Amino acid sequence: MIKMYYGLLLTLGFFLSSSCLANTTESISAKTWLEQLTTSLQTLNFSTSFVVVKNNQAEPYHWYHGVDKKGTELEILALLNGPRRDTLRRGNVVSYLEPDTPPYSVSSTQVSGPIPSVFSNDINVLTKSYDFVSVGKSRILGRSAQIIRIVSKDANRYGYWLWLDQESGLLLKTAVITRKGHLLEQIQFTYLEIAKTLATSLQHLIDAELPKVINVPAQAEQIQFSWQVNWLPLGFERIKADRHRINLTKKSVEFMQFSDGLVDVSVYVSPSQSTSRDVEYVKDGATIVLNQVVNGKEVSIVGKIPAVTAKAIADSVSFRGINQP
Amino acid sequence: MSESKFETVSLLVDNFQQSDEKFDAIIEDEQLSDTWDRYHLIGDVIRGDVSSSLPVDFSTSIAEIIATEPTVLAPMSVNKSISSKQAIKAKIVQLFKPVGQLAIAASAAGLMILGVQHNVAQNESNAVMPSQVVQTIPFAGVADPVSLNFQQPDRQAQKNAYIEQQRRFQALLSDHQRQIKLKSTNDKKLAKNKVENTSK
Repeated sequence: MIKMYYGLLLTLGFFLSSSCLANTTESISAKTWLEQLTTSLQTLNFSTSFVVVKNNQAEPYHWYHGVDKKGTELEILALLNGPRRDTLRRGNVVSYLEPDTPPYSVSSTQVSGPIPSVFSNDINVLTKSYDFVSVGKSRILGRSAQIIRIVSKDANRYGYWLWLDQESGLLLKTAVITRKGHLLEQIQFTYLEIAKTLATSLQHLIDAELPKVINVPAQAEQIQFSWQVNWLPLGFERIKADRHRINLTKKSVEFMQFSDGLVDVSVYVSPSQSTSRDVEYVKDGATIVLNQVVNGKEVSIVGKIPAVTAKAIADSVSFRGINQP
Repeated sequence: MSESKFETVSLLVDNFQQSDEKFDAIIEDEQLSDTWDRYHLIGDVIRGDVSSSLPVDFSTSIAEIIATEPTVLAPMSVNKSISSKQAIKAKIVQLFKPVGQLAIAASAAGLMILGVQHNVAQNESNAVMPSQVVQTIPFAGVADPVSLNFQQPDRQAQKNAYIEQQRRFQALLSDHQRQIKLKSTNDKKLAKNKVENTSK
């Protein structure tokens, strides 16, 4: 109770004065909240349902997490509408069961889904590109919630708002919001249960047979392309580079992926039949897919970034003259 | 050319994700929406979902019943125009009430059938595209936002170019998501590196 009042006072202080002291205290408290979120996501047994709202459509999910007696983390994330898309995790094996590809497993400790995986990892990787701000309190899912904003340090990225359960620190709601305050997509939890024991579906997972782990080519740092990306927002680092075929179109592409810890940006380059095509893009919630052809090279950018940023990244791609076809 | 149109319908029926525009195009195109109906009917028959008890011309017969009872609205006008002749009004109401109720019930049933069919169609569309690419927006600030392909006057070519474009975007989006899933292992190394960097 006292803690709550303290937080309230702090929030008031933040609004009333923009003094340096209030500011630093505030950011520490916001970071503590986010660290609490990470700990809770890693250690608690919880059963949740949530809905992803974007493009005027809602996608419902079930999400279970728990820790078994040996200390192995178990996790199930299931899309409830349309063709089945299930993600299972046992320790450091994550399996994806999807309609368009045969089931496969990846050696990893994070489930890739609508909720940024950094929340259940180390939030400190974000301090380079983002500030954490504690905004205030609200009521979400019938619980009192602490609002935390993850604000980009530059104007090239979107911000994230998080509503955290004051009791458990778990996520109750999150939203991707532009710098002008425009809502792009949000995740609203509709059910949350924290238990001492494992959920039944997780108990089944303990000795379920998972698909074979596929080997991801370990380090592709050596790969040299005839092109490079010359500009990215601060904090983005290259995490991947390879040549592969796109499943749907069977088209072979040269590919690089960048991440700032929270947002992943993919850059695709391939030769094109037309010599030039003006820039086109579509948006799926906060995710942009941008595509243009310049001098017979098709450059595509995909990621949760503003259109202007995507365009700037695409324009910054330069080619070495010798390797032009 | 027309092959690809039917292919789109087929994809939709098979729950492959498509955009709203494509769906609208199918709804607007009579031939395509007929195809859509047929595909679903075939599917329903194969799954044994077709209810034999519901005659096809059910709504038509209801419409006929309604058409032969134009007096339904009469009590309303009587209500308004006649104020003093209470006796006559009462008579009229008594006379027409049963018929009117029947007609209303019949029309309500008709609405329900229409409504249910409409709902089914809507649900289908949701199932087909839970999340994916919805709007195409030409990039702001570009003088000529449409691509070269779109300048051809031929409507078919335009449509094909549009389908091709949507396909390209869809392919990129799903590959991006797949790559995120595959990279997860490397990401952890990155996270570690970053922490080391910041703590130095």
